[in-house]
Amino acid sequence: MIRLSNVSHAYGGEPIVDDLTLSADPGEVVAIIGPSGVGKTTVLRILALFTQPSSGRVELDGQPAWAADEAERLALRRHVGMVFQEASLFDASVARNVEYGLRVRQPWSDRLREGLWSIAGSNGTPGAVREALDVVGMGDKVDQSARSLSGGEAQRVSFARALAYDPSYLLLDEPTSDLDPRNTGVIEEAIREARDRDIGVVVATHDMHQAERIADRVAVLLGDGFTEVGPAETMFESPTDDRTRKFISGELVY
Amino acid sequence: MSLDATVHLLPALVDLPFREGYVRSIVYVSLYVSGIAVLLSTLFSIPVAIVMGFTDFPGKQVVKAIINTGMGFPSVVVGLLVLFIVSNQGPLGPLELIFTKEAMIISQFVLATPPITAISLAAITGVSDNVREAARALGGTRLDTALVVIKEARYGIATAILAGFGRAISEVGSVLIVGGNITSAGGVSKTRTLTTAIQLEARQGQYDTAMVLGGVLLTLVLTVNAIVVRFGDAGSMNR
Repeated sequence: MIRLSNVSHAYGGEPIVDDLTLSADPGEVVAIIGPSGVGKTTVLRILALFTQPSSGRVELDGQPAWAADEAERLALRRHVGMVFQEASLFDASVARNVEYGLRVRQPWSDRLREGLWSIAGSNGTPGAVREALDVVGMGDKVDQSARSLSGGEAQRVSFARALAYDPSYLLLDEPTSDLDPRNTGVIEEAIREARDRDIGVVVATHDMHQAERIADRVAVLLGDGFTEVGPAETMFESPTDDRTRKFISGELVY
Repeated sequence: MSLDATVHLLPALVDLPFREGYVRSIVYVSLYVSGIAVLLSTLFSIPVAIVMGFTDFPGKQVVKAIINTGMGFPSVVVGLLVLFIVSNQGPLGPLELIFTKEAMIISQFVLATPPITAISLAAITGVSDNVREAARALGGTRLDTALVVIKEARYGIATAILAGFGRAISEVGSVLIVGGNITSAGGVSKTRTLTTAIQLEARQGQYDTAMVLGGVLLTLVLTVNAIVVRFGDAGSMNR
């Protein structure tokens, strides 16, 4: 389980989020919904162990992340995959991009040997890379340059890149906000596939319909905290918190 | 020979007043001095650019300002300073470097280092933060992230090295001062480069010779550029 307990974070003296508690189990999709600029990305960055919160606990499979030293934290971080709003692919082939997470987990001796082999010719594409690309329907673009992809294709490759090394948890920051309906559908299907693989998924989105389609549980981030966290099917039907209800019905405009 | 002779340049090519091995020796000295100087500058500049691109330290802006100022440093002043350093009374006097290729390498090193460092640094800091974050998010260590950034900046770094080479090989003032533009008794270059030879030939009114040497210099620079650009294109898919 990936878990935040009573987490607060401030930046430059300004509180961004306050007293957040949230968890995601393996094989569960949790959506964080809220308007733009409310701090959803900050919550994901804290979950990804990128940002140390000002106070509170971040645990990964029961291990407090910020009590660990840097090497231990790196080991914990390697159980987590993150997909950003922008695809941020490296200027390399699709295969080299998706391989990256696998490569950095290898010992240097293997990486150097493979590097030398790749000068002599192609090493072939690892099975995990092909598999991850197949999940997002990009299996036929293995050798294409990442620079030549459309925005939707790039985001799909970005998703495959995080999936390839089989993380325990996947964090997605508005993964479909710039995509057309077809690419959005592919990503949402890939999220379901990740859940079927027993990966815990936390997705930040401002698209309530998307949260309704893919999430098991929903956390509503309004102001500086969660107004409500609960099962998706009841959240949208009968929210208990008044601000959540107003936000879902569109009355609460930010 | 008058300037009119340049009209008949092509026939003149087969009958230029060059001694055996003269042009070859000049090209060799030019390439040797500029090549070694740029190699040493690169070995010095790239690590400096990487450290500056990845760390914050007090006085970083001052160091950056010094490097940027160095790009516009007049080459004759560099030549003069290196001359003081390598002259008999200078700190490197006992090494007897004055009027040697080594002294020329030192001055070209000083000239090539600022552009290589500054352009490499600009390329490294120009790599999007998103790329750095992606490398970290995928489980990369600090070293992995640095390697990704260097890879993304590779064209900029190649441009930096080319700019350094361009400055070194086309430079006249400092190599003239510290090298002396010397040939051996047999007419073979000791410290004469293409640029100093062109300067000498033009001063003596040997315009056709100067133009041929100019053509050789241009061809050299273009060839080196073409090789680097071609190398970059060929590698663009296999990374």
